[in-house]
Amino acid sequence: MCDTCGCPSPSDHDHDHHSHTSPKTVDVHTSLLAANDALAKLNREHFETMGAVAINLISSPGSGKTTLLEHTIEQLGGGIRIGVIEGDIETERDADRIRAKGVPVIQLTTGGACHLDAAMTHKGLHLLEKEPGGDAIDLLFIENVGNLVCPATFDLGEHKRVVLVSVPEGPDKPAKYPKAFTSSDVFLITKTDLLPYFDFPVPEARAEALHLNPKLTVMDFSSKTGAGFEAWLQYLRDLVKQAKER
Amino acid sequence: MHEISLVQAMLQQLSDLAVQNKATKVIKITMKIGLQSGVVADSFRFGFDVLSGNDDLVKGAELVIIETPAAFRCTQCDHTVTALARPDCCPKCQETFLIPEGGDELILQQVEME
Repeated sequence: MCDTCGCPSPSDHDHDHHSHTSPKTVDVHTSLLAANDALAKLNREHFETMGAVAINLISSPGSGKTTLLEHTIEQLGGGIRIGVIEGDIETERDADRIRAKGVPVIQLTTGGACHLDAAMTHKGLHLLEKEPGGDAIDLLFIENVGNLVCPATFDLGEHKRVVLVSVPEGPDKPAKYPKAFTSSDVFLITKTDLLPYFDFPVPEARAEALHLNPKLTVMDFSSKTGAGFEAWLQYLRDLVKQAKER
Repeated sequence: MHEISLVQAMLQQLSDLAVQNKATKVIKITMKIGLQSGVVADSFRFGFDVLSGNDDLVKGAELVIIETPAAFRCTQCDHTVTALARPDCCPKCQETFLIPEGGDELILQQVEME
């Protein structure tokens, strides 16, 4: 090996070291999320061209995202056309549950990835448009992979980000997983029918979340019993109405 | 482990930079990772070690991670601490509920290549 420059030529050689490419230092200052964010912006424009409001649902596994969607589809009414992009690591199960409610849905299986990103959402959107009714949607739900950590980093192009915490999970989630709450617009406390059996002080959980992010809209309800659910439905109706007027 | 996806995004940026600068080998990469970026530096390094091994451009390159601090504002007394790790409580009034501010950078800062 050449002792001068480390090139693989023998050390007794006599070559011109100036012919080697000299190392070059480039200042970049680019976010690793730049490509995702650019694609998210395109997705947002695409949703708006369709006339749709897009909502990204984030929570731990089992907080009730799919159940929320089932009840929302059944009860929203008002001629609002709903579409759903389901994200899971494996299986079509969630999409099957939504399909049974008669709305266009496609399932994205990430094959191991713990979150959806803007590129997957873009692919999902094009697949959804090929489903019957998938090209005429007022309200698009994107159900993220069940995970309270990783999805918070990736903008999908949604208009509103909604984070769910169910009563059995406990009230300390905002303090423990702040990014999911600081990056969201709405915080839903779900499964409130279980409040008699768990120590979940709703006012404290609300206050903690609002401390972290004063702009959060906080609602608590039970999808199962319907208690408090009307506030969520009205929030969605208002969103769709605002989108139609813009 | 969304860090793997982010390492893939970095490798893509490095590949584009190499083309722009007519380089064939990356020697050193400097990343800035904020405390509140949602990225664990050790997991990012692990992802880099795994993925760079199959990438001729980046194989063997040095990865420098600069962890940048976040500010933590006390919800009781408003005192703010800037730190590289979340403090257990406010040093002034011992309140445990502190609101993180800033520190969400995830920046490819500098690349040395030839």
